[in-house]
Amino acid sequence: MSGKVMVVTSGKGGVGKTTAAANIGCALAVRGKKVALVDADIGLRNLDIVLGLENRIVFDIIHAMEGRCRLRQALIRDKRVQTLFLLPAAQSKDKDAIQPEQMKGLTSELADDFDYVILDCPAGIERGFKNAIAGAGTALIITTPEVSAVRDADRIVGLLEAEGIEKPKLVINRLRPDMVKRGDMLDIEDVIDILAIDLVGVVPDDEAVITSTNRGEPVVLNGASRAGEAFRRIAARIEGEDVPFLSMEIPSFWVRIKRFLGAGK
Amino acid sequence: MFEFMSWILGGRGRKKSKDLAKERLKLVLAHDRVEISPQAFEKLRRDLASACAKYVDIDETGMDIRFDSRDRALALVASVPVIGMKRGPYASKRRGNMN
Repeated sequence: MSGKVMVVTSGKGGVGKTTAAANIGCALAVRGKKVALVDADIGLRNLDIVLGLENRIVFDIIHAMEGRCRLRQALIRDKRVQTLFLLPAAQSKDKDAIQPEQMKGLTSELADDFDYVILDCPAGIERGFKNAIAGAGTALIITTPEVSAVRDADRIVGLLEAEGIEKPKLVINRLRPDMVKRGDMLDIEDVIDILAIDLVGVVPDDEAVITSTNRGEPVVLNGASRAGEAFRRIAARIEGEDVPFLSMEIPSFWVRIKRFLGAGK
Repeated sequence: MFEFMSWILGGRGRKKSKDLAKERLKLVLAHDRVEISPQAFEKLRRDLASACAKYVDIDETGMDIRFDSRDRALALVASVPVIGMKRGPYASKRRGNMN
């Protein structure tokens, strides 16, 4: 089996890379795919706590690379979704502990065994970024509808092109339909027009992302969350399904009541 | 009158903040994408001016040169005010634009 190696990147920090990587990975695993989530943010480990797997780490990516353990020993299996695995970052090392060549070797070894290898890339465009993209075949670019995030995303598109990773796909995160309606936030068309890359999903700003992260549960496992639904649709599109985009209309009062009652069940 | 109408109909005369964001982003990204140094850009501007000046009298201070991009393709857009023609019987003293 040779799986897809996909890097989740953004340039700018704090736009939701880790959340997106965790949730898209989890949604693909729920669909029955075997998924390895790799935390490539050496020294700033976070994917583990977002997934609620922080207490189960014994070995990490550096241990596996240095041969201090076997690769499968460093992989943590998620108890909720049996086909989801995490390869945690090292917390005590820094980004210079890895060479791009080592990363290439590691991802291709994982790709032999998994349908998807998803790399959570650190912010920035330096060493950590170069390591994370070294073994990637495709890329997901996460941005929010803000000038700084879109500008950095554009820079990343250029850098990926230079590294031979063509046609990255775009995820617009934390869209606020109320602000878009007022003309106070870049809308989906604006961002696509500026970046000129293909859109794979739009995730509305949703408090459930924060509450589920507090609990260490991916929001895709919450059936009532809009953001969860958006991430599930992104997973379906990555699998080649043609699913409609989530409506970004502001729900009416009655729809909100219905949703509230549905969520309360 | 038109301004009054648009003031009444929307925005109170102020541009929507997202339109401003888009405009600013497009301009800054066009320059980011070229990766040209300010020195090289200045040299380009001067070379362009001297090339134009061979054929027409231009107002160098009024030149506007910028990069524009659409679908990740770049264009160099120059607006060069022409003060007059170098020679010929109908040389005009009027200002105009040569794009």
